[in-house]
Amino acid sequence: MPNVQSFNALRARSYLLRLPLFTRAMIAVMIAFALAGLQGAWNIQEWGALIPRELSITTKRFETEFGTLTSLALFFGPLTTIPALIYVFFDRFVLGANHAVLGASLWVFLLLGMEGVRTYKTNPYLVIGTYHVPTWTTPLFMAVVVQALVPGTSFIGHLCGVGTGYLCTSRPADELARNKRAMPRLLATILTLRRDPRLLKLPPYLSLLCIVVGVAWLLLLPLHDYSRRTYISENALLPGQVHTYFGGSDQNVFRAYRHEVDALKDKDNLEINDELENIFKTIGFKVGRQNYTYHSAGNTYTGENVYAILQAPRGDATEAIVLVSAWKNVKGEFNRNGVAIALTLARYFKRWSLWSKDIILVIPPDSRAAIQAWVDAYHDSHDSSTIAALPIKSGLLQGAVAIDYPHEGRFEGVHIVYDGVNGQLPNLDLINSVNNIANGQMGMHSFIQEKLGHSDKYNDRLKTMLRGMMNQGLGHAVGPHSSFIPYHVDAITLQPVGNGWHDEMGLGRLVEGTFRSLNNLLEHLHQSFFFYLLIQKDRFVSIGTYLPSAMLIAVNFTIMAILLWVKSGAVGVSEPTEVSTIKSKDTVENKEGKEDLAAKPPTSPAVEREIYLPLGIVIACHFLGALPLFIFNHTPSYLLAPFFLAFSALNIFFPSLILNMVNSTSTRPLTLQQFFLLKCFSLLLLGMFLSSLATLNFSLAFLVGLISAPLSFARPWPETPIMRFGYAALLQIASPTSAVLIGAAVYASSLGSSGAGAAAGLLDTLQHILSEAAFGWDVWGLYIPVVVWCVWWPAWLVGSVVVLGQPNMKKMKSA
Amino acid sequence: MKLRLRQGCAGWSFSLPILGRWDAESWGARPWDGTKEGGTGVELWAWLQADTEDEADLKWLTLTNALSGLFCASLNFIDETRTTRPVMSFQPEGDHGSSLDNLHLLHGVLPHEIVCTENLTPFLKLLPCKGKAGISSLLDGHKLFDASWQSMAIDVRPVCPEGQECVLQIEQTIDMVLDIERSKRPRGYTIPRPPPGHDLKCNATKPYHSGDTCFPSDFAEGQDWSIDQIFGKFLKGTCPLTDPDVPPVCIHVPERRDIFTTANAVELKNPDGLSRCYQVPSDEQFSMILPRMSRDGDNAKTIEDETVEPETPLLYAERSFTGHGQERGGVQFILTNPSPDTSVEFVYMESLPWFMRIYLHTLKARVEGQSGANDGIIEEIYYRPALDRARGTQLELRVRIPPASTVFLTYDFEKSILRYTEYPPDANRGFDVAASIITILPSTSLDAPPSRRKISNLRTTSLLLSLPTPDFSMPYNVIIFTSTAIALAFGGLYNILVRRFVGANEGPETAAGLKGLLAQLVKRLSTKFKGAKGKTE
Repeated sequence: MPNVQSFNALRARSYLLRLPLFTRAMIAVMIAFALAGLQGAWNIQEWGALIPRELSITTKRFETEFGTLTSLALFFGPLTTIPALIYVFFDRFVLGANHAVLGASLWVFLLLGMEGVRTYKTNPYLVIGTYHVPTWTTPLFMAVVVQALVPGTSFIGHLCGVGTGYLCTSRPADELARNKRAMPRLLATILTLRRDPRLLKLPPYLSLLCIVVGVAWLLLLPLHDYSRRTYISENALLPGQVHTYFGGSDQNVFRAYRHEVDALKDKDNLEINDELENIFKTIGFKVGRQNYTYHSAGNTYTGENVYAILQAPRGDATEAIVLVSAWKNVKGEFNRNGVAIALTLARYFKRWSLWSKDIILVIPPDSRAAIQAWVDAYHDSHDSSTIAALPIKSGLLQGAVAIDYPHEGRFEGVHIVYDGVNGQLPNLDLINSVNNIANGQMGMHSFIQEKLGHSDKYNDRLKTMLRGMMNQGLGHAVGPHSSFIPYHVDAITLQPVGNGWHDEMGLGRLVEGTFRSLNNLLEHLHQSFFFYLLIQKDRFVSIGTYLPSAMLIAVNFTIMAILLWVKSGAVGVSEPTEVSTIKSKDTVENKEGKEDLAAKPPTSPAVEREIYLPLGIVIACHFLGALPLFIFNHTPSYLLAPFFLAFSALNIFFPSLILNMVNSTSTRPLTLQQFFLLKCFSLLLLGMFLSSLATLNFSLAFLVGLISAPLSFARPWPETPIMRFGYAALLQIASPTSAVLIGAAVYASSLGSSGAGAAAGLLDTLQHILSEAAFGWDVWGLYIPVVVWCVWWPAWLVGSVVVLGQPNMKKMKSA
Repeated sequence: MKLRLRQGCAGWSFSLPILGRWDAESWGARPWDGTKEGGTGVELWAWLQADTEDEADLKWLTLTNALSGLFCASLNFIDETRTTRPVMSFQPEGDHGSSLDNLHLLHGVLPHEIVCTENLTPFLKLLPCKGKAGISSLLDGHKLFDASWQSMAIDVRPVCPEGQECVLQIEQTIDMVLDIERSKRPRGYTIPRPPPGHDLKCNATKPYHSGDTCFPSDFAEGQDWSIDQIFGKFLKGTCPLTDPDVPPVCIHVPERRDIFTTANAVELKNPDGLSRCYQVPSDEQFSMILPRMSRDGDNAKTIEDETVEPETPLLYAERSFTGHGQERGGVQFILTNPSPDTSVEFVYMESLPWFMRIYLHTLKARVEGQSGANDGIIEEIYYRPALDRARGTQLELRVRIPPASTVFLTYDFEKSILRYTEYPPDANRGFDVAASIITILPSTSLDAPPSRRKISNLRTTSLLLSLPTPDFSMPYNVIIFTSTAIALAFGGLYNILVRRFVGANEGPETAAGLKGLLAQLVKRLSTKFKGAKGKTE
């Protein structure tokens, strides 16, 4: 074992000198290329770059590129090709990324890797202090350092190079590389590996593994090790650090206001607003009113919002916080205590001079359309023909708290509702602050996702998480706060629940504490998480932990798409006439044309892919999605359920209809290759859409990906009608229309209708769900219908077409 | 004043940040027609005598730095990007004689500056009695900065009496709007705890009124207050250096309002019946008490007896952002002319930061109730486009608003992405956009009322512009990670590579101290010399 003494400058120089001549030459070439690259006459980097996606997507590029690589391999030996292949595999298939790499550094790292192993054989350890560092790790260190120091280098590429270097040296690769006779043998091995049919059999299993791991990943999340405790990230918030003084004689005022609100209970919107305006004016607020009208599914939603602004006594009107107390909550209950407490709080807030932000109190007539109209108008993104502009405004909204308090009597704790429209979430700091104030200062319980009495066990955590995911996936507004979130205004709704000892003043103090915290904010809430899954009020899973599960499910589609692309290029699935020119008779006997690939000489050219018809069908199906999207957003609500049932019935026959249409219009029926390409394009699009959707709305991407997982394994079964119809039936169950119907049935049963009324109840529920979706589309601006009809449904349609397809195999065989 | 002699400064106005915003609906027209106040943040404008623009810039730099030290305000941060040269908006005050030609007007504003007690002290120091006597003895940081609206300004202008040398006149103004209920809270008990139930002022006419249910009526009732209640102390006489003919305390109230004062104060009633003044003995404490006036009973008083209806302002102005998102936005400017018969002509000046790139072609004017744009009401546009990182946008519009109408001025802008280092530490707060300044031009008609014959000013509130902001924690993490990696891997390896480790007994024996150093130096030189010699051979 060499001791540290052997490492001196002389030694380092000799180390450099002892590098094989080839390595030194490569370094020289690399420097020369780098210098050439400095002058911009011709772009060396583009010329020499290995870009994974260009290899796999451009038609025929893969083959030509591979030809180039093979010829390069003849010059530089297989040592370049192997890391290049590994790199392409890693970067494209495993990481799904697309980075260009330049070859030169790869060679250097490869040779360094070889050198590292050779050094290791003579000097196994480098002693630093008391640590024995194996000398073969030096190239890895170098790779890390180069990655850290030199921008734009490919760490993975370097690792591939080093890895290949290790591999080559572990066998007697020095001799191998020098011995020119060994090279063709190695080359042949690699080519055989590339043509190995086992390589093509792998992806379906990989795809299935992705799905299984994706689901298992999600189920692991509620475990203690995969979630974190919540914490306050924004130091300015200081939740629960102030004394709250709301109470005492404010209770008398509260009772009076509640009498006033009770007196207005059955009045119409305008009378209510007149009275509220009077109260606001006596308190000393500036009052504004706003008319709105929405049309959706044949219904008209109209009303008038009333809101009041407390101008911060010493503020400069640049920022504001909002207190919302809708006259009716999302369930349509009369928010009696909520309005009264909001009025009392408004009067109390007026007495303080410490506000740095204006306080806006909004009392919309309902919690769904009215508040949306107000928020839209505040940000001037309203449709001015039906929604009035706001007469008075304040500054940027920094946060919003809604009170939903129809509950009578004393309460046990607050239910914090946080889901926003389209599955967007408020900053976690806001939820944490309220939790902190409620639990720490007020001694109240707090709950999320309607899970009262959380046992802190796996079951409850999973239920809470799944409920959160359901709300996120549906993307609907669950409270008056939801409409604020798309405008990057963090908002929550507080609902007192349960029977306990807290009274209205307790809720008032909670709101006061929250407002004091928000008032402290110097910057917009930005510190904490915007993407999270709450599994408990004080435990969460952050995006880095949960995202892989949806991504894995999306990746399974991409893997299958790539496999199908490769398969569609393989000889045997294409036109029999073309095949017969290349193949000898005996190889044609092979059924799928896969086995013969191995036996085939590597010089055989790839077949031409007929991409236009499949591509056309896939694009047409995606555009066809606009049809149901239009129908279900523009039908009067009483026709929605019948229309939907009719559409579902039609939907069963849609795939065969499309198949017949294509087969009858084109000159010859679709070939197996075209079916492969059809499915390939469809899955590629689905994978792409879902992986990008996963970053916006994780739950929706996960749910859609999971339900459409059978599409990955759909393929034509021309020989076995049982398989064909069996799989078609499975796909029918997993269709978007069935999913909606099943969802409606589950929802109806949860509402408790049974027996004879079940069918009617189901129809009502269906109509409710569909009109809700149309309402979401028209009022909240939901994009979920687009995902269902223009992403999911077309993918399903193409999948079903592929399953039902019967490419003419007999003709191929007879050729 | 030394400032002028040194800088050729022909008068300047400086306003410290105002607090709060003027509530024109409730409080009416602004004090001094708005000419003695700035916007949110500190504002400075000056007429400088200079032959060239560069000379003016240099003098401006000196002035801002001098005032910055004088008033403990960050005026030195007014750089070229925040400086504009208004063309139509400001008029020089005082006597300038024939030198108007080479006067340069420069205007700068720092919208995010906040007023502080450290600004009050230098302000009071400029007074002859330094806040020890007279009305300035009431000025106290706690009360001043608890006001609902507060403004401090200093104007300096040259005055040239006939046949005498020119002198500079300095005028200091403080305006406050106080919330009486809030100010009456005694010091130390500023927390607005709910009052005991029996102290609540209730509306007893409500049917549900009872001991535990009270509909509050405290805002509808009349006010009662006194100077010592509101300011927490008495007025300490008058400053002996002031003009004895000018009464120090005046109050605008109707004639029927009861006012009691401390002894020896002389009441002087204004003939118009809307105001009265008090002469205060120079060495006595003074206070006045305005009792609650009973609204019922034999001698019932109404609200008209208690307060004077505030004067209607000539123009209401409100500015706000429209749109959302990180890329584009818009500004909407709502102007209302309350007068039923006269149109209002004014200059609207906006000085915007350079990162707010406005599209001038989107500038539209629309009169409420009329469909389509009505660009005819914009009479003149002066526009000086921004240069990135060098100067901001300056936009001046001369607009005439017809009587009894509301005008919407809108324009769109694009938000630029700043460089990493250009963000302030609180980047996510947003960037303040200075208040726009409205100068209402004097009416030219002969029968205009006196309030219309002079220039008056108006300022909107400032705005908060949120720009696309990078996640600053990420570069920080990357820097830390990279530094650690280099320090551990690279540093350690390098250290081992260049150092020769030998046993302590094997090392060369070196003499300690200076002698040893010298010996080493000689040795090194000799080897070098030998080496060079070897090469030449």
